[in-house]
Amino acid sequence: MSSATARKSARLGRWLVSGPPVLYLVVFFAVPTLIMVLASFRTPGEFGGLAPLVEDGKLDLNLESYARFFSEAIYAEIFLKSVWYALATTFFCLALAYPLAALIARSPKRYRDLLLLLVILPFWSNFLIRIYAWMIILGPNAALARTVNGILGGFGHEPVPLLFSSFAVLVCLVYVSLPFMVLPLYANLEKHDQALLDAAQDLGANAWQRFWRITFPLSLPGVFAGSALVFIPALGIFAIPDILGGPEDSLIGNVIKQQFLETRDWPFGSVLSIVLTVAALAIAGFAAWVARRNLGTPSSAREASA
Amino acid sequence: MKKLLWLAAASLAIALPAAPVFAKDEFHLYNWNNYIAPETIKRFEESCKCEVVQTYYSDNEELLAKLAAGAKGYDMLVPTSNAVEALIKGKQLKPIDKSQLPNLKNINPIYLNTPFDPGNKYSVPYAMSTTIIGYNDVKMKELGLPTDTWAVIFEPKYLEKVKGRITVLDSANELFAAALKYLGYSANDVDEKHWNEAVAVIKKARPYWAAFNASSYIKELTVGNIWLVHGYSNDIFQANLDAQAAKRAFHILQGMPKEGAVLAVDNMVIHKDAPRPDLALKFMNFMLEGKNSSELTNLIGSGNPNLEAVKYIKPEILKNPAIFPDKAVEAKLEQLKELTGAQRRLRNKLWTEIKAGR
Amino acid sequence: MRGKRRIALWIAAGAGYAFLYVPLIIVIVYSFNNSRLNAEWVGFTLNWYDTLFHDQDMIFAAGNSLAIALTASLVSTVLGTAAGVAMYRYPTKLLSVLVLAPIAIPEILMGVSLLIFFVLLNFTLGLVSVALAHIAFCIGFVAIVVRARLAGMDESLTEAARDCGASPWQTFRYITLPLIMPGVIAGALMAFTLSIDDFVITFFTAGAGTVTLPLQIYSMIKIAVTPEVNAVSSLLMLLTLALIIIASRVSPTLLRSQEDLS
Repeated sequence: MSSATARKSARLGRWLVSGPPVLYLVVFFAVPTLIMVLASFRTPGEFGGLAPLVEDGKLDLNLESYARFFSEAIYAEIFLKSVWYALATTFFCLALAYPLAALIARSPKRYRDLLLLLVILPFWSNFLIRIYAWMIILGPNAALARTVNGILGGFGHEPVPLLFSSFAVLVCLVYVSLPFMVLPLYANLEKHDQALLDAAQDLGANAWQRFWRITFPLSLPGVFAGSALVFIPALGIFAIPDILGGPEDSLIGNVIKQQFLETRDWPFGSVLSIVLTVAALAIAGFAAWVARRNLGTPSSAREASA
Repeated sequence: MKKLLWLAAASLAIALPAAPVFAKDEFHLYNWNNYIAPETIKRFEESCKCEVVQTYYSDNEELLAKLAAGAKGYDMLVPTSNAVEALIKGKQLKPIDKSQLPNLKNINPIYLNTPFDPGNKYSVPYAMSTTIIGYNDVKMKELGLPTDTWAVIFEPKYLEKVKGRITVLDSANELFAAALKYLGYSANDVDEKHWNEAVAVIKKARPYWAAFNASSYIKELTVGNIWLVHGYSNDIFQANLDAQAAKRAFHILQGMPKEGAVLAVDNMVIHKDAPRPDLALKFMNFMLEGKNSSELTNLIGSGNPNLEAVKYIKPEILKNPAIFPDKAVEAKLEQLKELTGAQRRLRNKLWTEIKAGR
Repeated sequence: MRGKRRIALWIAAGAGYAFLYVPLIIVIVYSFNNSRLNAEWVGFTLNWYDTLFHDQDMIFAAGNSLAIALTASLVSTVLGTAAGVAMYRYPTKLLSVLVLAPIAIPEILMGVSLLIFFVLLNFTLGLVSVALAHIAFCIGFVAIVVRARLAGMDESLTEAARDCGASPWQTFRYITLPLIMPGVIAGALMAFTLSIDDFVITFFTAGAGTVTLPLQIYSMIKIAVTPEVNAVSSLLMLLTLALIIIASRVSPTLLRSQEDLS
């Protein structure tokens, strides 16, 4: 290929690859979202929805909803609480998912697909009944609660409710997020070369060293991908606190939902959503920046371990 | 690659035949789930030679949000009174041609000509429920707790005995209404001072409540994990049926608080862009017949504003004071009114604080 | 890996599987529960399966959900893989934001905004509007997994292919795609899972008469989510599992990773 045609086909390749997804997302995500971003500057309709954009020939835009968000501390408080829940969820998901993904990645090829499917299979059942199953497991008369409270009672402690509590919310958050950590981790661990680990072992590295100095750094892209796919959605969740949360487990997702439903204050709901999205993207960007700085790019990590 | 595409097409081909062939005459009913008896639908379909296509919502606010964003295609909706008010003021409804509703005379006049729809220009009552107390009779007797006052869910001296075994509705409007009634005010009181008093009452009781819950509380009550709830009369009625079916040692009973309670009247209305308003009117008249109206009450224990229906309702339901309250109690029941935008925002701010544990 | 270490891994992974499956076993077992409620075991019955087979609405809803999920996961996997490759080869801020933001944005905002958007365009709401919405939020999940899989990719293979005169499409089809296939499959599985169980966005973008399984089930939330739901979920899981096993038998080369091809 001559260099001119090579360049042309490279440019064509670039457009063919980036073009369709960008186009789709611009049309079906960016444009609708911009409508709601505009809504955050508008006035709520008296009976719901939004007030007319043009009122008496004048554009009705204001910063009232933003002012409300920044002037009342409670929203920031709830937001921080949600960040804590999301962080905790991500951490526990990682702890549970890593062994699962590692086992699947190291299994003989003929079992791998099946083991992977087994991880995701429960999540094709309906969300509600899975949560109801957890309510059965965590119920006050079920075995788990009886055991825990029996032990606590032995120490003279008051019985602790497992259901309708932060514990229940966290357990279910981890439960519904787990496959989104397992799958990206698996996709990464699957390509790890066993030869590297064997070589390290021959050179005298023990199991912990092999994991911490070779496997874990190489798996970091998978760790970050999984963490992003768990942390970011977990920030906006509302259904789980609604169904089995305690009286103080309201999260920012619940507050946002209320703005669109009970309060019918769409501009304020948009403001909260925008803050949430910007914060989530900022946290993800920050984490990626930290990763690049401390560990270099993935290719340099590969070179370092070569 | 080609094989995969064939497989995808085959899967779609398996899934799609589950789609019914659409009849030419379709009546789109947007309703609460389980809010109309299946026999009633069948009978209507035979009488109008049309197909009833039902879609569901589980909250008035979901309905309002969807319509406010511009959704179309529904013929009839079944909103509660305050939602009807919002829809009328938001110009979302089609006026009813009452000449097509000869059965309207069956409705008890006290439910007609409401403040939010004078002259019933847009709405016709369908079914009712009250928001009351539901309880496990064995446990309440054991603990010696009253069951006819809101005090049992607000006062620490009673709450101590049921700590962690009581839930309240996850609805700002309902809980504020209960607290206001408990304090002796009207459920529709909009005085900010009274609201703050209600908030104080709620915050004092909150540590004893297991949860703010509007979705899974009923099953917990039915199996005995929860002993006392602030809930809807229909749900509590159903809970008792389920508890008896499971042969539990207790009954789930309805407690009507003497301070009064919220009455929710659900109404049939026609959406302004209804594709078949003629079928909607037919359906309205059909449901205003005594027999048809009674079927829902017999099914779920809902209150019934239709005087003709009384003939067909099961006697044990007719005798139930929480479903068919006597005049004295009726006087204390109030329907919730719509709040203004500013009031909604204030209420939400207070509610957010309550639910954040502040 | 040698003995002791392997056992530790098995135990940890086993705990993970147990965590995943105890609730699922409850779900399946309770589909035989002789009670309207999903709360306590009362007795054994097959009635709920019988109810399900006569429940036209529920079956219709399940069929819709399956159709939408298959379509949405297919399209979003294709677009998401492209986006993942683009994020790796031609990264731009715009692309990163466009891919990540749908994951971050609260579902209710996305649902309302898409509804307003469709209404503005006078687009009839129905199965198609729901599928379009699902694709929009699934692309990001696929893209991120594919991108992560590409990280640290050995460029020497693709360079070698180019040197041998392969066109970009050939390089992609025969070198890159097999290399990233586990990532693509993982992304497709996630997209399918997200779509088949979505409620909020589906609620707002569904038309009058469009029912999916989550819509049907969530509307029961305030009355009773009966074991019929457990039954339909169990059967749907079985059906989907069967479909996938058939697919992997039908296209074995497509779904195997790079190692098998050598």
